[in-house]
Amino acid sequence: MPVYKLTYFDARGIAEPIRLIFAAAGVEYEDNRLHHEKWADEKASGKYPFNAMPILEVDGVVIAQSHAIARYLANQYGLAGQTDMEKAQVDMVADVIFDLGKKMGEVLMEQDETKKAEAIKAILEKEIVTFLGGLEKIVAKNGGNKFLVGDKVTWADLVLSGQADFYGALKTDVFAAYPKLKAVLDNVNALPNIKAWREKRPKTGY
Amino acid sequence: MAKYQLSYFNIKGIAEPIRMLFAVAGVEYEDIRIQPEQWPSEKASGKYPFGSMPILVYGDIKIAQSFAITRYLANEFGLNGKTNLEKANVDMIADALKDIGEKIGKLFQEQDETKKAEKLAEIKRTDVPTYFGALEGILKDNKGGDGYFVGDDLTWADLLFFSQSEYYPMMLNEDVLISYPKMKALRDRINEHPRIKEWLEKRPKTEY
Repeated sequence: MPVYKLTYFDARGIAEPIRLIFAAAGVEYEDNRLHHEKWADEKASGKYPFNAMPILEVDGVVIAQSHAIARYLANQYGLAGQTDMEKAQVDMVADVIFDLGKKMGEVLMEQDETKKAEAIKAILEKEIVTFLGGLEKIVAKNGGNKFLVGDKVTWADLVLSGQADFYGALKTDVFAAYPKLKAVLDNVNALPNIKAWREKRPKTGY
Repeated sequence: MAKYQLSYFNIKGIAEPIRMLFAVAGVEYEDIRIQPEQWPSEKASGKYPFGSMPILVYGDIKIAQSFAITRYLANEFGLNGKTNLEKANVDMIADALKDIGEKIGKLFQEQDETKKAEKLAEIKRTDVPTYFGALEGILKDNKGGDGYFVGDDLTWADLLFFSQSEYYPMMLNEDVLISYPKMKALRDRINEHPRIKEWLEKRPKTEY
């Protein structure tokens, strides 16, 4: 078993899907959480390929970029989809959820309260409908399986779990119109390893 | 026998690495280009899983999201590295190229010419050295940097890089690769790859 070390801020953020993959796979790793004050020095060390986190060290070999890391571990531990086509569907869904998350991040960082309210309204009417609506259709086509792709959990489900924890900031039940997608989320969060991790993980604001 | 169908706008954009993959692999496909006037009704047809392009259709299967499509085809055609670790490095490089590409692209949305010039200067001072410096280092670490980004063979990361580099002079007002000699040489090498050279000659000529 390789020695894994994941380094990120003391937050869920874009590293949480990676932690969820380790949990789902039942694989040990060092969950290295850097405090903000330490980041400037760490960054200057040159250890971080693109001066950003998360990074994963695999027996000392560094991989950067959260989805590259997630996909690598998922492929190692059978959480990436069974065929090349399933993997493509998993990639597609993970990318969509990530794009929605990025858009949400932009909206929530808006300082002006009026502009922010307008931006939230816009995202609820547009991106939430396009992206979550698209995912609802994909789940509907997945023959009753309570996963996004195929008949077992993949890292796309774990990206959804990680991101869905942020949707509350929109102050609306975004899943109201997407019951099948909600059923997938609930199913994934109820998986024993995932439930256990979500209960014991450090509680952080984001 | 089902045929691949790629749908996108009549531009290079994020579909060009996909078209280059087909060219390198020597695989036939339908290169569908949707005109701007057609797009609203196409989008409303419900044919596009997330209301956007590109999409790849193959028989009764449909994939959206440009990297999901590119990676799928690269896996099919053996252009995605040999091991999981090589694939992870390809992904990492592709994601980094996407990140810097988005930063540069976002700059272009700035309407105010003065602000745009300031932002451009800032990007050239910070993000370009961070990302391009890192990528030049990664290339050099791969057996001296006279081959490809990952492993011994061409991967879709190289094609993505080439495709993005076509925009650098236009978007950054200079050929930024002059400061990154190994990457510049890689771009020139890809430009001379017989199947890519052939594609570059015959593809529709579009500004973007």
